[in-house]
Amino acid sequence: MKKPVLILVILIIIMISLFGVRTVVSNRISTSGVALGVTEDEIKTYKTENALLREKIFGFASFTHVSSIAAEMGFVESKSALAISRSMPIARTQ
Amino acid sequence: MRYRIVLGFFTFVFAVIVLRLFYWQVVKAEELSKLGQIQYGTSIKIEPVRGEIETSDGFPIVANKISYLLFVNPKEVKDKVNTAKFLAENLEIDRNFLENQISQDLFWVPVKSGIGPDLKKQIEAKNILGVGFEQQFERFYPEASMAANLLGFVGKDEAGNSKGYSGVEGYYDRLLRGKTGAAIQIHDALGRPILARANGDDSFGTDGKSLILNVDRSVQFLAEKKLKEGIEKYGARGGMVGIMDPKTGNVLAMATYPSFDPKKYQDYTDDLYKNAFISDLYEPGSTFKPLIMSAAFNEKLLTPQSRCPRCSGPVSVGGYELHTWNDKYYPNTTMLDVIEHSDNTGMIYAAQKLGLAKMVNYLDKYGIGKITGIDLEGETAPLIKPKNEWYAVDLATTGFGQGINVTPVELLTAFSSIANDGIMMEPHVVGKVLDENGKISTIKPKELGRPLSSATSKVMTEVLVNAVEKGEAKFAKIKGYRVAGKTGTASIPVAGHYDPNQTIASFIGFAPASDPKFVMIVIVDRPTSSIYGAETAAPIFFGIAQGLFTYYGISPE
Repeated sequence: MKKPVLILVILIIIMISLFGVRTVVSNRISTSGVALGVTEDEIKTYKTENALLREKIFGFASFTHVSSIAAEMGFVESKSALAISRSMPIARTQ
Repeated sequence: MRYRIVLGFFTFVFAVIVLRLFYWQVVKAEELSKLGQIQYGTSIKIEPVRGEIETSDGFPIVANKISYLLFVNPKEVKDKVNTAKFLAENLEIDRNFLENQISQDLFWVPVKSGIGPDLKKQIEAKNILGVGFEQQFERFYPEASMAANLLGFVGKDEAGNSKGYSGVEGYYDRLLRGKTGAAIQIHDALGRPILARANGDDSFGTDGKSLILNVDRSVQFLAEKKLKEGIEKYGARGGMVGIMDPKTGNVLAMATYPSFDPKKYQDYTDDLYKNAFISDLYEPGSTFKPLIMSAAFNEKLLTPQSRCPRCSGPVSVGGYELHTWNDKYYPNTTMLDVIEHSDNTGMIYAAQKLGLAKMVNYLDKYGIGKITGIDLEGETAPLIKPKNEWYAVDLATTGFGQGINVTPVELLTAFSSIANDGIMMEPHVVGKVLDENGKISTIKPKELGRPLSSATSKVMTEVLVNAVEKGEAKFAKIKGYRVAGKTGTASIPVAGHYDPNQTIASFIGFAPASDPKFVMIVIVDRPTSSIYGAETAAPIFFGIAQGLFTYYGISPE
């Protein structure tokens, strides 16, 4: 007779423990969805911001833009190339 | 007995229920599932983000930019008249159309796409109930119309989906566009969207792959700038420049003028957004001579020192009298001088020495009459006539590049074999493919064949260097650099005869002659200040070459 009582007591304790654990876990993760949603929104905002900034950077870095700015600043194209046609002597004997 | 009857009755009823359940659960399962989906959700299409296109320096010449689709929920809009008025003013669309849209008995009505972030902020600031935005991606060209004919554009197909047309966008459309996904948009009891559920493992789709071009942005910019300046200076209708690395076939630049704005492609006619460099046929004229002369050298029928016994005046072939371009004749001239003076009579001699069979064989080896296989949509190639349809005059005129049609890319590819030790490489625009996981696949250079021996290519290089040093274009050459090249002035056939005042002026060449870094062709369409290649295309060629020497850090030889 004693054994079934013991088993029942153990089962009830396990049930109560599991119930308690479930309550604690549920309590902890119940707000995670909201936090996840907020994080996802933040990621989306940053991604959008990155894309917009990237677009601006490309616009500024384009040769079309750089050459027009250079022309405005007075830079002109060099018509002749400078080249060293012979190797320079390291030292010249007197 | 009564028990048996009752048992039989219940068994029968049970069997009927089981059969009916089998009918609904198994036979009609799919149909019912679809019906259910209609009740709680609708199938939505997930558009993948199209891959970007970068130049070899890593700059995205074609990128994606964020834009927005403005939609309204007519059931939530309270003041329909004022909302329509406000939106019509800001979006520059018809107010009546908007009022009609907002009056519909729907939850979601699209109003306008392609809205920029600034306008979106401006509208959002008004906080109008029932007005929302959906993020979209559209093509963005940081360098505006640079390389537009090479890149192509993105339009819509019959179903309204984005599709690449022409150039790189057309050729690599399947790679760039990615895989469209599908999901179920679940709605609540009032029909409002709650969440989306995928229909399988990969049904959310995959974004498109990005391409890294062999095209160098600096070289492309230089080529386009010099070409535009040249076209304006020489009063030409248009022009083209193609620059290739002869050792790999990598296309470094491909410029066409006039061009188009890929963002507003619909405002242009087909002839402006097709890539003339790979699709337009023209008679190459004297730029074709090096190919024929090389073939004669390769067959050991002639050497640069061989003399022409019939170059003292016009030559009669098949009832036609063929002249030189300037009616100057050089009796007993050498083949070296034939190329230097661009002597048609000398080239007729070379072509006749080669003979029809070998001529046709070499045209085939050079890939003339076949597409080069360049990775751009829209390449064409004319067919070379079968041997039995050639007349004697055809053989003679082909010797100096008239009466035969080529595309610029065909000629550039064939000519590059002289610069690459006799080996012809397949021209290639895309160098690498970048997948959505960041993995890079490299496209290896492909050899098309060896039309010339190494020795012939070296001899021909020297003949072409001599042509630049002493020929008609010598005034344009760059001091200190050995450039191998040839001018071309091809007459344009008009209504059965050649118009003497309208020409295709061109220059083809490579440099440095001893170790070529680039092979380039410049074509000027109907220049008016001068009809000659030496006075129009050659200065553009050397202007670009000068820039390339500086850019690649090539010292004078």
